[in-house]
Amino acid sequence: MRIPSEANLRRAIAFIAALGVGVATYITIADSGGGSPTCLAGGHGCQTVAESSYSHIAGVNIAIFGIAGYLLLLASAFFVSDYVRLGAFAVALGGFGFSIYLTYLEIFKIEAICQWCVASAVLMTIQFLLNATRLVGYAGTDGDAGNGADDREPDREPEASTA
Amino acid sequence: MSNKKEREKRREERLAEEAKASSGDRRTRLLQIGAGAVFVAIIVVVVVIVIAGSSSDSGGDAENLQEVSQVDSLVQGIPQTKLVLGDTKAPVELIEYGDLQCPVCKAYSEEILPPIVEKQVKEGKAKIIFRNFLIIGPESLPAGAAAIAAGNQGRGWNFLELFYRNQGKENGGYVTDDFIEAVAKGAGVKDIAKFNQERTSKAVEEEANRTTEQAETLGFGGTPSFAIKGPNSNGLELLGTPESSGELEEEIEKVS
Repeated sequence: MRIPSEANLRRAIAFIAALGVGVATYITIADSGGGSPTCLAGGHGCQTVAESSYSHIAGVNIAIFGIAGYLLLLASAFFVSDYVRLGAFAVALGGFGFSIYLTYLEIFKIEAICQWCVASAVLMTIQFLLNATRLVGYAGTDGDAGNGADDREPDREPEASTA
Repeated sequence: MSNKKEREKRREERLAEEAKASSGDRRTRLLQIGAGAVFVAIIVVVVVIVIAGSSSDSGGDAENLQEVSQVDSLVQGIPQTKLVLGDTKAPVELIEYGDLQCPVCKAYSEEILPPIVEKQVKEGKAKIIFRNFLIIGPESLPAGAAAIAAGNQGRGWNFLELFYRNQGKENGGYVTDDFIEAVAKGAGVKDIAKFNQERTSKAVEEEANRTTEQAETLGFGGTPSFAIKGPNSNGLELLGTPESSGELEEEIEKVS
């Protein structure tokens, strides 16, 4: 299977990360106003989840961690180097693992589903797949950090640049 | 001349090979780190989920009360007098002899009783009376006495329901003053000083022991045990431990 060009992967990573920042910011704002995110289809899932003891870690709304993660991923899309590829993959992997844990909590512990959390989990899963593809497809294809601020040949094939 | 050119060409090829090899090495190293990270992440997620799965099963955590809002919405708007839930003039009285430490009572409070509360009790057809039947162990008394004290402030059923939802292991040592106070606060008991004074009073303890004797006299051997009385019942009828909400609903209909 043909791996998408790195430029396209970076565009997708930036787009999904921007959506993620939006979702996580909405959850944070809705929660900080003393309320909770509104479920689109009605129901009290979001309220139950937001009021549960799992929604904060050491007093910090977990959506704040989400914003931080998505911002890092968004920034990673603007740089090309092996360090960035590996770092972004690590952030996406951490976010993906955390999303699995949070979804587990929603289903089995809180017994309520919040669509906004599901949306974030889906976006983080896509991020993980995109960054894994980027790492596997393009690791070692250029110099160290700072060697290439941007790829000049956006649609080149992976590993075809040594000639 | 041509020799020199050839040497240069070979040198360039060698350098290109080396660059390619070093790029390949770096790629291998990066992928190894990535694979290692995936491996570590899988282990972390599995361990965290296993810990989370076992920790909340233990319950009895004063710092981390669960389902406060669910309990609120279950009994909201229903009159409460002492440990009676529902209109005191409701024709049918369903009496539950229970022990706050008992896991089966917890299951009843979470699964079997809510439909009855939502329907017959809210409609004013029946009232549910909770009476302590202290059989599990020494921690049953402080728990049951606290429920009576909460009932004196009109929050008895909030206390019972919230206690059940945060119940710990039988005689596991979780029924501490801290835990009881946390449940009382979560249940909306206003005057905690009065609550603490009453729950440790002789009168309240005696009441819990008296209802336990009553249950034994009726011939009950386990919790929860139910009895029912209504306009069409033959005095107080013993139901034992009905298996479903439907069965209890039928009994209520039968005697009303």
